[in-house]
Amino acid sequence: MTHEDLEDTIPLYAVGALERGERQAIEAHLLSGCVPCHSALKDYQSVAFVLPFGLNMTAPPHGLKATIMAARTSAALQETEAQQSEKPSLEPGEWMNHLFPPEIPSKHTPSFRWVLGLAVAIVIAGGGYTTWTAYNTQVAADSARLAQVQDQAAAARSELATLQRQIDERDESLAQSREELERRAMDIVELKDQLIQREAELEVAIAQLTEQGKKPVRVPQDELAALLRTPNAKAIALSGTEMTKQASGMLLYDSRTQKAWLYTLNLPECPNGMTYQLWAMSEKPVSIGTFHVGAAETSHVFVKPFRDFMSAKTFSVSLEPDGGRPQPTGPVYLLSHS
Amino acid sequence: MWRVWVPLTTNGRTLIMNPASQQAASTIDPTLLTRVVKGEQQAFSRLYDLSSTLLYSLAVRILGNREEAAELLQEVYLEVWRKAARYDVSRGTPIAWLITLTRSRAIDRLRTRGTRALRQTGQPLDLPAAGRVADQHPTPLDAQADQELRQLVYDALAGLPPVQQQAIELAYYDGLSHAEIAIKLNQPLGTVKPRITLGMSKLRESLRPYWEQRDHS
Repeated sequence: MTHEDLEDTIPLYAVGALERGERQAIEAHLLSGCVPCHSALKDYQSVAFVLPFGLNMTAPPHGLKATIMAARTSAALQETEAQQSEKPSLEPGEWMNHLFPPEIPSKHTPSFRWVLGLAVAIVIAGGGYTTWTAYNTQVAADSARLAQVQDQAAAARSELATLQRQIDERDESLAQSREELERRAMDIVELKDQLIQREAELEVAIAQLTEQGKKPVRVPQDELAALLRTPNAKAIALSGTEMTKQASGMLLYDSRTQKAWLYTLNLPECPNGMTYQLWAMSEKPVSIGTFHVGAAETSHVFVKPFRDFMSAKTFSVSLEPDGGRPQPTGPVYLLSHS
Repeated sequence: MWRVWVPLTTNGRTLIMNPASQQAASTIDPTLLTRVVKGEQQAFSRLYDLSSTLLYSLAVRILGNREEAAELLQEVYLEVWRKAARYDVSRGTPIAWLITLTRSRAIDRLRTRGTRALRQTGQPLDLPAAGRVADQHPTPLDAQADQELRQLVYDALAGLPPVQQQAIELAYYDGLSHAEIAIKLNQPLGTVKPRITLGMSKLRESLRPYWEQRDHS
């Protein structure tokens, strides 16, 4: 086959119209480094690539993109890889590697001696050219396989790095959550200590009043003290908001009596015509009750029956007009953590 | 970056290359594939938006079945997501790589299922919307650069004799060799080769100004 014959087949090669033997012949010729044929191939392949632009366009199904985006998990990819176990005609990224002829498995057919002799003679006659072409072909195929393995290794390394990053981020998030939990537990312990201290101060005050012959004041502290000693009492810490950062609170719930106890510290005095209102926040805010903090009153105990305590997600204390409101309208002074 | 509109004349028509070409399937930026290699989901999503209509149309044309074409497209894009690192910009444009991959996979399927003989073949190439009723729904290929290329391909194909169109179509979309085409069309061996050669040569000449303009812009 002359060079002109080979050159004439390039348009057919570009559009995929050659028989296997013809394809191998032009591929061998291209491997020899013929510049004009390489240039012609580039032109005709460019023609082949734009042919689909001449099609009447059909939009893909609406759900296809979502399916593809969701299927990029490693499991889906492995499945796809398994389904592609059959060697396709072209690998991505190797779309020019089809210049290299595929390896043809040898066929063991019965042969006569003269056929064998003729074959040997042809091989010898083929000489260096055939050997050199085969060598080049094998080297090219090996190079392509090596590149493929290297690409797979790079992709695996990239995926591993991504997974490691995700693990590090989750570890960091977990550590932060633990620190926050410990901090809140310490807050609760501190508030309980303060409550016990106030309880002791109150007992001293009652004793002094009794000694002075006055009628003891009936206060709920005995009940509160009993509640504090109850192991399964529910305790929720409240923190001061931007309105008053130094304020804090402890909300206790006695499931036996279904009473909510709010013990507050350092809440500012209620302005005239205003009162504090305690809210349980579930689907919508529910008022537990109102209480008033007077001048120089650093602590305050507020008790109210409340049945739906356990269904509430958060609790807050806001400043509202006297008598309270059905919904919170004023600034929030205390807020539970969760 | 702003680009000056440059008139391009071919086959007596004037084409315009404009900034909108940056959003076209025919001019997908290779850096988009670089970002896909890095695992950027947005880049992959963008690549799908730009190329899926063209690739789906190609798969439907080859397979003659929309469901199977959708299945094939899923396989192709997952392969792109996994193997985008293999794309080599020195070997061609991103859309050329995607088209080659889609056509190759579709023809593999066609050969595997062995129903090629059952499909209708030998029809003229589909003509673009410019030559027919416009698509009912706009597609990403409505970008100016894609429209220009589609019109150009349409004109180039329309300028070919029907027998040359038919031979090219049977090779490209049905994966038939020139000998298989001759048998299918009941033509003497040796008649198909020159048809394809001449047809491809004419297409190359018709499209040459487009590539020259693209290379200079």
